[in-house]
Amino acid sequence: MAYPYRHDKETRVLSECFGDPAARTVAGWKAVGGYGGIARALEIGREATIEDVKASGLRGRGGAGFPTGLKWSFMPKTAARPHYLLCNADESEPGTFKDREIIRWTPHQLIEGCLVGSYAIGASHCYIYLRGEFFETTNVLARALEEAYAEGLVGSDILGSGVDIDITLHVGAGAYICGEETGLMSSLEGRRGEPRIKPPFPAAVGAFGMPSTINNVETLAAAAHIARHGGEWYRQWGTERSPGTKLFCVSGHVNKPGNYEFPLGFPLMELIEDVCGGIPAGNALKAVIPGGSSVPIMDAADCRGCTLCYEGVEAAGSMLGCASVIVMDETSDIVKQVRRMAHFYAHESCGQCTPCREGTTWATRILQRIEDGRGTEDDLDTLVQISEQMTGTTICVLSDSLAMPIISSIEKFREDYLALIRRGERVGAA
Amino acid sequence: MSEVRFRNPGWAGNTGEFDLNEADVRGTGYVGERALDGGHPSVSPSLPYMFVKKDPDAPLFEGPYRERFDKIRSRYPTARAALLPALNLAQELRGHISPETMDEVAGLLGLSDAYVRGVATFYTMYNKRPVGRFLIQVCTNISCNLCGADEVLAAFLEHTGTELGQTSSDGNFTVVEAECLAACGFPTCVQINSRYFEDVSADDVPAVLDRLKRELNRSF
Amino acid sequence: MADNGRKAETVTLTIDGREVTVPKGTSLLHAAESVGTEVPHYCYHPGLTAPAQCRICLVEVEGAPKLQPSCVTMAADGQVVHTDSPAAKRMRQGVLEFYLVNHPLDCPICDMSGECKLQDYVFDEGRERGRGREPKRVFGRDDFGGDVLYYGDRCVMCTRCVRFMDEVARDSRLTVVERGSRAVIDTFFDRGLEGASFAGNVVDICPVGALVSKDFLHKARAWDLDHTPSICPNCSHGCNIELHTRDNLVQRLKPRENQEVNGHWMCDYGRANYEWLNRPGRLEAPATGRGSDRRTADWKEALELLFGRLAAAEGDVALVGSARCSNEALAGLGALGDEMRGRTAQRVFRAPRAADEVPLPGFPLLVRRRDLVPNAHGAGLLGFQRCGDDGGEGGLDEVAAHGEVIIVLGDDLADQDGDFGANASLFVYLGTFESAAAGNADFVLPITTFAEEDGSFVNAQERVQRFQQGLRPPESARPAWLVLGALVAALRGEKTPDSAPEAFARLVAAHPAFEGLSWEAVGDAGVALGAEAAHG
Repeated sequence: MAYPYRHDKETRVLSECFGDPAARTVAGWKAVGGYGGIARALEIGREATIEDVKASGLRGRGGAGFPTGLKWSFMPKTAARPHYLLCNADESEPGTFKDREIIRWTPHQLIEGCLVGSYAIGASHCYIYLRGEFFETTNVLARALEEAYAEGLVGSDILGSGVDIDITLHVGAGAYICGEETGLMSSLEGRRGEPRIKPPFPAAVGAFGMPSTINNVETLAAAAHIARHGGEWYRQWGTERSPGTKLFCVSGHVNKPGNYEFPLGFPLMELIEDVCGGIPAGNALKAVIPGGSSVPIMDAADCRGCTLCYEGVEAAGSMLGCASVIVMDETSDIVKQVRRMAHFYAHESCGQCTPCREGTTWATRILQRIEDGRGTEDDLDTLVQISEQMTGTTICVLSDSLAMPIISSIEKFREDYLALIRRGERVGAA
Repeated sequence: MSEVRFRNPGWAGNTGEFDLNEADVRGTGYVGERALDGGHPSVSPSLPYMFVKKDPDAPLFEGPYRERFDKIRSRYPTARAALLPALNLAQELRGHISPETMDEVAGLLGLSDAYVRGVATFYTMYNKRPVGRFLIQVCTNISCNLCGADEVLAAFLEHTGTELGQTSSDGNFTVVEAECLAACGFPTCVQINSRYFEDVSADDVPAVLDRLKRELNRSF
Repeated sequence: MADNGRKAETVTLTIDGREVTVPKGTSLLHAAESVGTEVPHYCYHPGLTAPAQCRICLVEVEGAPKLQPSCVTMAADGQVVHTDSPAAKRMRQGVLEFYLVNHPLDCPICDMSGECKLQDYVFDEGRERGRGREPKRVFGRDDFGGDVLYYGDRCVMCTRCVRFMDEVARDSRLTVVERGSRAVIDTFFDRGLEGASFAGNVVDICPVGALVSKDFLHKARAWDLDHTPSICPNCSHGCNIELHTRDNLVQRLKPRENQEVNGHWMCDYGRANYEWLNRPGRLEAPATGRGSDRRTADWKEALELLFGRLAAAEGDVALVGSARCSNEALAGLGALGDEMRGRTAQRVFRAPRAADEVPLPGFPLLVRRRDLVPNAHGAGLLGFQRCGDDGGEGGLDEVAAHGEVIIVLGDDLADQDGDFGANASLFVYLGTFESAAAGNADFVLPITTFAEEDGSFVNAQERVQRFQQGLRPPESARPAWLVLGALVAALRGEKTPDSAPEAFARLVAAHPAFEGLSWEAVGDAGVALGAEAAHG
């Protein structure tokens, strides 16, 4: 097998062609049934396509887990004004590296997903917002899109259906916040990538003031398959509340990190110990961040029995997010890693909302001081309170995303903080 | 860290278990050359290259670049929306976004100079100062950090003889710390100009730099 | 405002236990304001769009999962809102603490101290003690050009200033530079606000001491200033303003909201030109006699003498008024001319005119008018003809050589020489400053400026607007309406008007253009001539 990140237990729907360069071309994608999804959608019509996606139970793969079919159904049914589909390929949640894999190995999977989504919501133009750092990935997608235009799959009268759908690649320029849907819209419009207050919601007033829907890369890729096979087909995998398969991005302290595709509900410990070959050097597990850095940290006890679906991770006290499993073994310095995350959020805060602009930076500096051995126990109370003050008080959830790892790490790994604080006291006394 | 993981800096993810070549992994064989005029309008706002040679005085939006700009403009309902692609294009040519560049782009799109400055400073990929022929961006975010990114960053600084953000005296290298590059399964990820170098360890750094020096005459 | 004659739709909600009925589309912030509750806010300003980013106006709405920004959440029927619940107060205290983490607390040297919203809110609800132990971020001071200085460390990043320049001035010279906690307000490098026409408003709307006026820098403490409602005297648009005075000097002019005239704004030209109100060397006492016969007199003596001369005068009368004078003064001058035996041969005023109008694009009602005086329209309505050039000079050759009665009010005749009025049988000069051309005057009578009296102007929209006395006049100066009113009353054998309202009432009775107006109806907001309200 050419591609290394594979395991026999996987259920490969989205990742079937990862590692196969031939699948990058239109011909290669068609050879595995590609563009069958958009063909069927055009055949059954818009409403039926939305109904299929609703029936599939597909939930947004960008982190929030909102039902995709329902989101699509919010779009106005009339075409009085242009509608836009915005594909969020600004993948930048720490720990997440699935969208890049989808795009660079199977660009037509995404293009087909964009066609299905655009058709369903009545959009004649789809913008794919790629993060600026993805030069190589974007080049693959660009070539694929040129090819798709040449083959009449994108543009006017796609597949002879009379339907026009344009796709445009738009690249960002380095800002995590542009992965937030309204921040993405601001950025697409040529503004600072500052999120906007909702309401109005994008389905009413979105990009360029027009009704818009924003979907993640993996969501649209899955929609292409659902369009081809129908909603019930997708429900053969996963749980009642979390149907289908999902790419799990595993990183950190495992022997075989990578993207692995499983039905939702797959056991977390089996993913770490079996699929990823366990923890290097036989070290013990200390903590897992299950959904990208923006969710509460789980300790080893939380991980036992945890299944990787929306409700399963919630039951374990965290959130599935975009299923980016960051594994930390017993050698990990929790305080340092939380400080590094805080630094990230402070660096990426757009600066509009006061709690986020000031809170993320303040928290970072306190964490740095603790790490440097100059902290006090009071600092931990201050950190928790700052975090509470940053939760639910801002336009978007960037500051909430930092609050969660801070609060959960102090709760679960207080001893790690105290050890640094006590060491500092000794240093101070000497 | 583990005997299973095999590192092969220079391209993504070779664990020694598979036989794909670099062009297959990067997709360069499939992509081939991207046209300077932007190719098909649908892909014109994308950014194909970050060139090794940077010309801060290069004329903006002339010849094929003018064609590319016109294609870009045709893909958006407003002139403002062409701002990020126009700045990207300017940086592709000049290597950084100077005040003069902001002013020119503002004039081209009918936006205020201050507005363009506000946008340009929001995004970290716009270099507000000239950078080296190779801009080395080392991810030190959590997944890479757990696997030794701090040591990788230190090694780049040591072997290029630079301070963070400073350009080496020969003008070849600028090393900066990057936030998550979305290659967390292949730590440490280092973006060098437009390419990702993955599974980079501190020990690999001299070899990576040697490769770059050999590539000084390549275009990107 | 947009009352189409139909009853506006209303909603009824409960705010802090009180039932409130407001028009549909009213924000919670305004709904609370309507019952006297100020919800703290920074980024929201009624003249600008609301980004809801400062996050201090969040209130609790029962049933909502999170606190809601009251500036953009619309009041709805049956809503139950708590601006003062424990959750809302805790949030505000938290946000205020965030503001203070890097704030320099340099109130003792900050011009905004005393009228600063950060100071006020922290005083009301802030934590007793800050928990910040880290060194503070330092941005320093930046000269934005024009009259504006920026203190980045005091900035709360509400972006009102950026939005004002974008949305109202439509001259996007300000922007947020960088992001997150490194973000500051800035211009395009060395290009700043110089030459902009409305940039001074950013100082007014800055809720803290981040944007301050260079002209006002360290000049006065806010709590030492008296505020007097007035009208900008520097063009005929008549922006509603406040005179801010201390030590009997105007320290600055600030716009006063009037949605029919100037919104929340005023222009930089108007704002900057107030020093003439503080000019020393004013006429101190009435004087009589020409040349070497000139001697000071008290008012009683001077007016008795003047009355005798006026009653006896036979010849034609030349009246020179000024469009810087109130309606009451100009009407008095006109009435005096009417009461004289001679024909009024001339009834003129002069006024400097700018080459162009300067509109405020985002609030097009407001225009810096060509007439750089406040009452050109009032003067016209009261029968005075404009003469002279656009510099406000010349045009007085006939008057200067007039052989009979000349009465000059408020025009300092700076361009005229010592021959002015040399042939006049009677020359009366009512003014504020000594003038070479007044050397031939038989009577020199010191009058007050508009800042030293109550009165009214008519602006270019034909709107009558009142101003109030903000300065104490020089010892012997009297309002012109009183001086002229006394002479007219004496000639007519009636009572002297004893107040500006009384002078106004006489003006209304005499001039049909003002028919139906009353001093009370004009009020602080003014009334358009011929408007229904004026007659209602």
